Amino acid sequence: MERIFLKKDLGKNLEEYDFLGLKNALKMQPQQVINKIKESGLRGRGGAGFPTGIKWETVFSIENDTKFIICNADEGEPGTFKDRFLMENLPFKVLEGIIISGYATGSKYGYIYIRGEYVEAIKIVKKAIEKLYEKNILGENILNSDFLFDLKLVRGAGAYVCGDETSLINSIEGDRGKSRIKPPLPVFEGLYGKPTVVNNVETLAAAAEIMSYDNNPYSQMGTEKSRGTKLVSISGDVNKPGVYEVEFGKLTVKDIVQEVAGGVKGEKIGFVIPGGISTEALTEDELNVPYTYENLQKMGSNIGSGGMIVVSSQRNHLEIVKNVSDFFRDETCGTCFPCREGNKNINKIVSDIYKRGYPTSHEIEIISDIQYAVSSAARCGFGESSLNLILSIFEKFYTKKVEV
Amino acid sequence: MEKYYEKELLEELHDIQETYGFISEEDILRISQKRDIPKAQLYGVISFYSMFHLEPTGKYIVRVCDSVSCRLNESTTLVKALKDYLKVEENETTKDKKFTLEVVECLGHCDEGPVMMVNDTYYTHLTVTKAIQILDSLE
Repeated sequence: MERIFLKKDLGKNLEEYDFLGLKNALKMQPQQVINKIKESGLRGRGGAGFPTGIKWETVFSIENDTKFIICNADEGEPGTFKDRFLMENLPFKVLEGIIISGYATGSKYGYIYIRGEYVEAIKIVKKAIEKLYEKNILGENILNSDFLFDLKLVRGAGAYVCGDETSLINSIEGDRGKSRIKPPLPVFEGLYGKPTVVNNVETLAAAAEIMSYDNNPYSQMGTEKSRGTKLVSISGDVNKPGVYEVEFGKLTVKDIVQEVAGGVKGEKIGFVIPGGISTEALTEDELNVPYTYENLQKMGSNIGSGGMIVVSSQRNHLEIVKNVSDFFRDETCGTCFPCREGNKNINKIVSDIYKRGYPTSHEIEIISDIQYAVSSAARCGFGESSLNLILSIFEKFYTKKVEV
Repeated sequence: MEKYYEKELLEELHDIQETYGFISEEDILRISQKRDIPKAQLYGVISFYSMFHLEPTGKYIVRVCDSVSCRLNESTTLVKALKDYLKVEENETTKDKKFTLEVVECLGHCDEGPVMMVNDTYYTHLTVTKAIQILDSLE
């Protein structure tokens, strides 16, 4: 990974790690910490992009003896592996972010929920937590302050939908990972009915980094609505797949593919999935767009989780569509009828299209209708976004070629 | 506050499975009584998560990723070859109870595909030959 913002970090070794972010935070009042995060412009890096400082402030402002911080490490979006990278390579940075968020929000208890398949990350983080207890960075009187914070690791067990914050909360409580109706939002009634902040791994690592500076360099990077940097994990038909930290607005999506990831393998780019398989595909003509939340939204797509998948023009696009549709059919939690049935029915249509080799205009129309129904009626981000990529590929590549 | 910090159900299930390889009816009965959760609800929870097993599995669980990025690295060929080699379909165990084959969603090694996990070990940048060699070398 090329380091821009996370460059100060010294990796896994606790002896070399300074916990400067946490030390700085403990010298400040919680509201001052929140203000600093708000000023940084940090937005949630899991996919939704909600301003982190506002989330923290909401939980801070609620009076309750028990509040929770959950680090969402259930990274299951195909194409996304940056949280695994962070946990395996910078575990103390992630844990430091969790502890800071606990201090800022007045929470004494934290969870890190890591997907069960990440056995390596689980081992490393588990060991890192033990070390922090030994070093008085977790537990009572953290770093000789009067702040108390306990942290536990919970393993997921193979369910993509648990990446949704309400599903994840149900999962920690020992239930099936089904999503909850919102409102109430988890910040008001989350884990065990208590105010709960759920933040992504990358968000918390960035928060720790922001707190380690006296000034606020993070807010100097990027654009007004997309401040700082983003970890992009790139895979698929590129020469140098991997995790890269890029500054928002500095590069276009095309630059990221060509310069950062070493260019496309194959003749030319067919399409790029910019943020994991829940985000709309961008065709080659659409790639000269600066990598920011606002610019990708203007293109009808999204930064998502930052999991960029590059597909060469020589690939069978319908095979990708079929694969993605199989995934969403299998992974819906089934609680919302439109999501469960919609993804199942679209999968049948997509299977027919895949066998035939092209879609009819009628099929695209049906898919579009179902997509509308599923995305508007679903409780959580899964249903809201499950058909984005599929529909975008049909609309961008197949509407002109189909029979009437 | 302590009640929130007793062992979470998922962690308890993981521990049982790590010890015995699957979660038995007796385990479910015991947890049901201890935690005061109906058995049916426990079955609902356990069956929801793909990593939990209600029946014994093979000594080695082979998980092969077939999500988009691995697919672009020819995971389909790998999945087919492993099925042929082990003479099983998805989620089946070999007759000698040595291997259970699972075709899974993303394992988070999208830049190193195709990928498989054998129990807790990851193998990346696989070819069919390499994958079969790995399975062959396991006792």
